[in-house]
Amino acid sequence: MIERQTEKYSDEEIHRNLNPLLSAWFRQKFGSFTEPQRYSILNIHARLNTLVSAETGTGKTLSAFTAVISELLNLSQGNQLEDKVYCVYVSPLRALNNDIQRNLLEPLEEIAAVQGKKERKLGIRVAVRTGDTTTSERAKMLRKPPHILITTPETIAILLNAPKFRENLRGVKWCIVDEIHALASNKRGVHLALSLERLQRLAPEMTRIGLSATVAPLELVAEYLVGYESERVQRPCKIVDVSFLKKMDLKVLSPLPNFIDVTPEQVHRALYDTLDKLIQGHQTTLVFTNTRSATERVVHHLKEKFPKKYLSGNIGAHHSSLSREHRLNIENRLKQGKLKCVVCSTSLELGIDIGFIDLVILLGSPKSVARAIQRMGRSGHKLHDQVKGRIIVLDRDDLVECAVLLKNALEKKIDKIQVPLNCLDVLAQHIFGIAIEDKIQVEDLFRLVTRAFPYHSLKRTDFFEVIDYLAGEYTSLELRYVYAKIWFDRETGWIGKRGKMARIIYMTNVGTIPDEAKIKVKLGEQTIGTIDEMFLERLKKNDVFVLGGESYVFNFSRGMTIQVRSAEKRPPTVPSWASEMLPLSFDLALEIQRFRRLMEEKFVYRKPKTEVIEWLHEYLYVDENSANAIYEYFHEQFLFAEIPHDKKLVIEAYCEGELTHLIFHSLFGRRTNDALSKAYAYALSRLTHKDVELSMGDNGFVITSEGKLPIDTALRIVKSPDLRMLLEMALDRTEVLSRRFRHCATRALMILRSYRGKTKSAGRQQMSSRLLISAVRRISRDFCILREARREVLEDLMDIDSAAKVVQWLESGQVKVRKIATPLPSPFAFNLLLQGYGDVMKMEDRLAFIRRIHERVMQRIAEKQKVV
Amino acid sequence: MAKKAAKKESGRMSQKEVLPGCEIYGLGLYLVREKAFVVSDLHLGYEEMLNREGVLIPRFNFHDIVGRLGLAFLALAAEGKGIERIVVNGDLKHEFGGISEQEWKEVLGMLDFLQQHCREIVLVKGNHDTILGPIARFKGLKVLEEGLFLPATSTYVTHGAFVPDNEEFRKAKVIVIGNEHPAISIREGVKAELFKCFLHGKFKGKELIVIPSHNAVTIGTNILKEKVISPFLKQPLGDFKVWVIEDQPYYFGKIRDLQ
Repeated sequence: MIERQTEKYSDEEIHRNLNPLLSAWFRQKFGSFTEPQRYSILNIHARLNTLVSAETGTGKTLSAFTAVISELLNLSQGNQLEDKVYCVYVSPLRALNNDIQRNLLEPLEEIAAVQGKKERKLGIRVAVRTGDTTTSERAKMLRKPPHILITTPETIAILLNAPKFRENLRGVKWCIVDEIHALASNKRGVHLALSLERLQRLAPEMTRIGLSATVAPLELVAEYLVGYESERVQRPCKIVDVSFLKKMDLKVLSPLPNFIDVTPEQVHRALYDTLDKLIQGHQTTLVFTNTRSATERVVHHLKEKFPKKYLSGNIGAHHSSLSREHRLNIENRLKQGKLKCVVCSTSLELGIDIGFIDLVILLGSPKSVARAIQRMGRSGHKLHDQVKGRIIVLDRDDLVECAVLLKNALEKKIDKIQVPLNCLDVLAQHIFGIAIEDKIQVEDLFRLVTRAFPYHSLKRTDFFEVIDYLAGEYTSLELRYVYAKIWFDRETGWIGKRGKMARIIYMTNVGTIPDEAKIKVKLGEQTIGTIDEMFLERLKKNDVFVLGGESYVFNFSRGMTIQVRSAEKRPPTVPSWASEMLPLSFDLALEIQRFRRLMEEKFVYRKPKTEVIEWLHEYLYVDENSANAIYEYFHEQFLFAEIPHDKKLVIEAYCEGELTHLIFHSLFGRRTNDALSKAYAYALSRLTHKDVELSMGDNGFVITSEGKLPIDTALRIVKSPDLRMLLEMALDRTEVLSRRFRHCATRALMILRSYRGKTKSAGRQQMSSRLLISAVRRISRDFCILREARREVLEDLMDIDSAAKVVQWLESGQVKVRKIATPLPSPFAFNLLLQGYGDVMKMEDRLAFIRRIHERVMQRIAEKQKVV
Repeated sequence: MAKKAAKKESGRMSQKEVLPGCEIYGLGLYLVREKAFVVSDLHLGYEEMLNREGVLIPRFNFHDIVGRLGLAFLALAAEGKGIERIVVNGDLKHEFGGISEQEWKEVLGMLDFLQQHCREIVLVKGNHDTILGPIARFKGLKVLEEGLFLPATSTYVTHGAFVPDNEEFRKAKVIVIGNEHPAISIREGVKAELFKCFLHGKFKGKELIVIPSHNAVTIGTNILKEKVISPFLKQPLGDFKVWVIEDQPYYFGKIRDLQ
């Protein structure tokens, strides 16, 4: 049973159960236990699965380790400590592992010191094992296995297949999964869930402990953590929820009284003045910018504008594209309190103790309440300290979004996460791994994988398709030796590995994180940066685009490199790329829509401005500038058109020459809008037999085409039960499917990143996958890995479930559609029309397309000849 | 309406002619007076190469090429156009070093298939064809190192990886090459699709025809975006004419107008 831990144990009770040495050290070092520790130490001591949710700096890590250390000390003192692994600690961050070692080794040394100098050492070994661990260190670990093993999800999968080392894992007593919130919602976590089941098979008595930041729903995370002990019975788990211990001082700031009658220069100046003022008013500030490019920009401008205040010695950038040394250097200086300000993209969101920070600034929306809390929680990194966060907004949509977001944060409404279910690519990888361990009966295998929460509802047919794929059944018998990874004897039900290379292939290709395909941009021989592969798809010869603040003309591409020339000051012909952007969460989006409705009511009932502003201050937590800007924004929209909200979907038709734009004010977040927009665009293109263009974002989407768009019919055609089918058709020839297919094919080991000692670049993988996807389509449109790519796009990248919910609301009338025609785009539509993210719904097949264009070319040629 | 459609259809049908006497059938070029059919860059064994790199792509290139060639032969026969010679203008096989049984099977199978449709097969050496010799000897075929000269029409067929230096080449008025795997992206708005294509332009005063690759695994090099490799094409290509190949050839005018 999964249940919340309501009983808090007293300090004395805990001390009674702890090893005396540890108990003495605890008293000496901390005096008392923290909240999370009071709820969880004794549960873990009693070997109950436990999920602890608390903010960083609340002694969360130690609440997991205390019971472990205590028991290891008991064993050590009784001379019963064996040479094997007792505790596995898994974290998604490599850097964190080093940190934990420090945080574990230090207490252990101090405990040894309590014991007295003359005594021998405690004898408890701790070791970090990641992809970076050297061969000699690994050999040492094999001879003297660590009692506490600190590792990553990928490495644990490798260790499970290491013939000798896995013997040390038999009888593991505890497995601690740190930052579990960052794993549960993606394929890395799905992968780990299967590894945990494999580990549990070696160590049936293992207790699972999860450590999580603030996240919802905790029950789901607990289910993910523990899985099932049999077909029907879920393993028990205690949930310790001690989130929101710290006091929060959070505000949204608008640098200017309004965002309309101002030049970009004014915004720019106001932003940096505000930043400077905030930074100077605090000891150490951490700034989050969301994107890597913005991180560099902010550091650059601060140094340039205030050369005396910001020097390389006291300000630094931190993001994932920077070298490891650079990042470590920044982290260390931050810990030592040497930096006034650090600017990062998202990289300092998780883990590592970053020392004293008294202010966190978010530039632009963090897009989810949980993320906002996580980021701002980096300030006041000690219990009882206050969390202090400021969000600086630069446009009106951002302002409204962040204001509602903060309200939810302060009112402790956290958006929900989803766990990807039944991912066939990850399943294929693990089945291969399991087959390498030893022969296994297919039914035992099925039982093993369905114990993991993400596979509990796995269909037998899907499972057997994956088995068939691994057994190479998609190729002719005589070629099986090339394609098959396992053999499967249907008569006896046995499954085993195939090929001498199996283990090495598995070991060198394990994992779920795709390599990013980056295109190198070169000016002559000089590399000036990289662009996204999807961006290249959009470029044509002589297009001008911006990279690192400079404009360039696209000349040609060769493989993964493009050649450009300087564009001097020509304006870009293609908008910049925004693939790094985080999507707005569905729950938060609904809250913003609700706020929109409340605002509309104020105007409908003709409330005076002062009253509305007053209400805004009461309802949201915003400064004077912000309240004023929000009022003006909504008032304009109300007067000009209609305010869309959670009960009313406004579809605005706006004509520009021959083009019709249908603007859907569907504020549901980008993942949901991605699905909705593709469904409607596909329906419209089918109805008109034409391609339609679409662009979408968090606040809505725009469908554009020449001539009229029969929106009423499209609204009727898109039905919630058919949504998946419709979207699968719409996706079929899109670039995004082909990209995700590469990721899935790589995870399913259909494309080997690393093979025969060579590593394939992401670009090479992508080229291979293009060929592969068309070949796979010839086998079957439903080939399991292709189907998984579709599932990933629909469920993980997009949010088809929420989209279906929206369509249901439209069907039931819970949300009414309001169609309006506007001579100019309404204020709420401005940002929607400016969105850089464009796409096209390919309706025509290649043949129809080429014939139509050909006709046009023929006409043009005929006209030219007439002129001559 | 039907009339209009029919007219449209016939409009399309006439677009197979690149030059008088040089016509497109499938992905090959038929030389009417010589009764010769030229195909390029089959790259058999492309999948094995990918397999060896750790890409488990199933094999279909062979079947696809046979299917496509079969259709072209049918169309030629239907119009009463006989084939004396089939010229494989380089890169029959993708890679040689260490040839497997399966790969032999495909190359020999292809040559058998071609033999059924002509009197003589001529193999022109391509840059991938490093050890074409044994196979050719096995089948009793000629391998031409530089190219094939067809005197009746002064046509010189060569792979295109280098410019031959011989008397026949200098005499030639028309040059036919492969090697480049030309393809072109046709775009409209943000939509773009890549197609195999034939090109026709000039090379040092001679007519130059570039044949697309017969390889079914890849479409080819997008000449609008990517850098060309053949020395014949290291020149301004704006005036080159384009025939896009899908179900049939579609004349698309000059490259310049498609950029």
